[in-house]
Amino acid sequence: MKNILKYNIAFVAFGLFLTSCSSDDDVITNVSGTGNLGLEFDQSYGDNDLILGQANATSQGEIVKISTVKYIVSNIVLTKADGTTFTYPKGQSYFIVDESKPDSHVIDLTDIPAGDYVKVKFGIGVDQQQFNLGAEGQGNFLAEAQAADLLWSWSAGYKFLAFEGTFTSPTVTSDTSFMVHTGQTGTDYNYTEVTLDLPTKALVRPTITPDVHLIADVSKIIDGTNKIKLTDYNEMGMGAMIMGGAALPLVTANLNGMFHVDHVHND
Amino acid sequence: MKIKNFLWVLLVMVVGCSGDETAEEDAAYTNIPLPVEKPSNFPEMAYDLALNPPTEKGFELGKKLFYDGRLSSDGLISCGFCHLQEYAFTHHGHTVSHGVNNQLGTRNAQPIQNLAYQTTFMWDGAANHLDLQPVIPLTSAIEMNGNLTSIIEMMKGDGVYTKLYRQAFADGKVNTENMLKALSQFMVMMTSSNSKFDKFRRNEAGGTLTSDETAGYTIFNSKCATCHATDLMTDNSFRNNGLAVNPLVNDVGRFRVTELTSDNYKFKVPSLRNVEKTAPYMHDGRFGTLESVLNHYASGVVNSATLDPVLNQNGRLGIPLSELEKTQIIAFLKTLTDNQYLTDKRFSEF
Repeated sequence: MKNILKYNIAFVAFGLFLTSCSSDDDVITNVSGTGNLGLEFDQSYGDNDLILGQANATSQGEIVKISTVKYIVSNIVLTKADGTTFTYPKGQSYFIVDESKPDSHVIDLTDIPAGDYVKVKFGIGVDQQQFNLGAEGQGNFLAEAQAADLLWSWSAGYKFLAFEGTFTSPTVTSDTSFMVHTGQTGTDYNYTEVTLDLPTKALVRPTITPDVHLIADVSKIIDGTNKIKLTDYNEMGMGAMIMGGAALPLVTANLNGMFHVDHVHND
Repeated sequence: MKIKNFLWVLLVMVVGCSGDETAEEDAAYTNIPLPVEKPSNFPEMAYDLALNPPTEKGFELGKKLFYDGRLSSDGLISCGFCHLQEYAFTHHGHTVSHGVNNQLGTRNAQPIQNLAYQTTFMWDGAANHLDLQPVIPLTSAIEMNGNLTSIIEMMKGDGVYTKLYRQAFADGKVNTENMLKALSQFMVMMTSSNSKFDKFRRNEAGGTLTSDETAGYTIFNSKCATCHATDLMTDNSFRNNGLAVNPLVNDVGRFRVTELTSDNYKFKVPSLRNVEKTAPYMHDGRFGTLESVLNHYASGVVNSATLDPVLNQNGRLGIPLSELEKTQIIAFLKTLTDNQYLTDKRFSEF
């Protein structure tokens, strides 16, 4: 009991301490110190919010019902208005976004130098340089990936993206499963990086934690620059399984065009 | 005054964290580096030791992991279950191995030796880093079917493991990175380089080959060493060696990794070290003896679109071998047996 009281006193004291510090930053020109930033990955299908299980049409005359969208976000780099960059510590820069887990949609970045940020860059997947180091620098991410079903067990690698559900088309009339998984194959590495301009500056301050609201238009995964008809991959009616071969670099190229920053909150 | 209280609480917290006995015990222990030397007749090492230098405790941890069945979903199947030391860490007598719940795999367990010198792993090269290779058998549903999160939790609750992690790694963390590094430290130390052949190559005592062995080595060099190159007896390539496709399995080999039709039915050229002890042979363990293997190359090679060109020259399939030549090659292959390695207590389960 005594201890609890002391903790309380301590936290109050700490709170006062923080408050007293933050009052200095009412002056906007003071951009010293560090702050936090949230990267929010909001999944859409075209212009609409993504609803898992809802029927959506593709430009290829197919109807898809998406059950799973997951991907690895990595190697985050923020660029300031003056062109200088801040690279988020690599070892802490691997995250899993899972549409079915709302908690995973916002990536909380901490200890970012205060500044006015105008650009964000991130990777989809685990980069090859990191992968070639073996276990080095991976922490517990293999276990996290396995728990999220993003471990490509048979090749000891990661699924960078998992996009799954069912589809129908003029020739495939009953709901048939599809699975699109990207990752390293024997011929292509399939990691990609996305660079986005922010429509308004993200003002990172000790007292301001900007929220960068990104939209990930998942329709682009198979219906982006490269058009992929699931029906073409429905071999022997067993479902369209796109997990390797020539299609993966096409999907990877599409991922590059699936994100945009909708807005930035500076609260 | 309030700040003072806060600092006092903080001090208690810090002292509370570090005051346990294990921390003092660990502080007294200094981990000892283990030297890794490349045998003079070996090619360059592929493994980057600088990123994961083997140490006494890292090795000990890796060995404990290798022989721990609790890493599998049924608590029984350890790495060592299918990789038995006396057979150069293969699964003697098994064409293919059985994993958890007695499920059968489709490929023959490969030996574990000199892996620090290899750039690709598994019969199809699905893994290209030694650290990550164990992820395949650990998590495969038909092998160990392990759950990495459960494995980490199990180890965090085991005092022997947590102590070893603290002693072996600077950050002391029980996580997949350190688990895989420890396994690599164990495997990197597993060098088989003291066969009669090695002693012959290094002009050491005990390295005198008999006339049959010498003749066998000469034939080997002219008829086998294209693929079984260097003193490690592999060029690390993937090739279709003309095995009849087993229709029950239709194992496409390297194609699974690359999806290139040119890689259909190609498998990694295996090292031949300790080959006398690693029967049965081929990716699916179809041949029970070395004689059967040589008979295959002499007269059993089946043509197909991806058959290796060296096995189809001048309108003849396979490698011409007389009965005497086969005997002599086998006499030579037996000089690759390294009894010191097969009985080395450092690598033994008990």
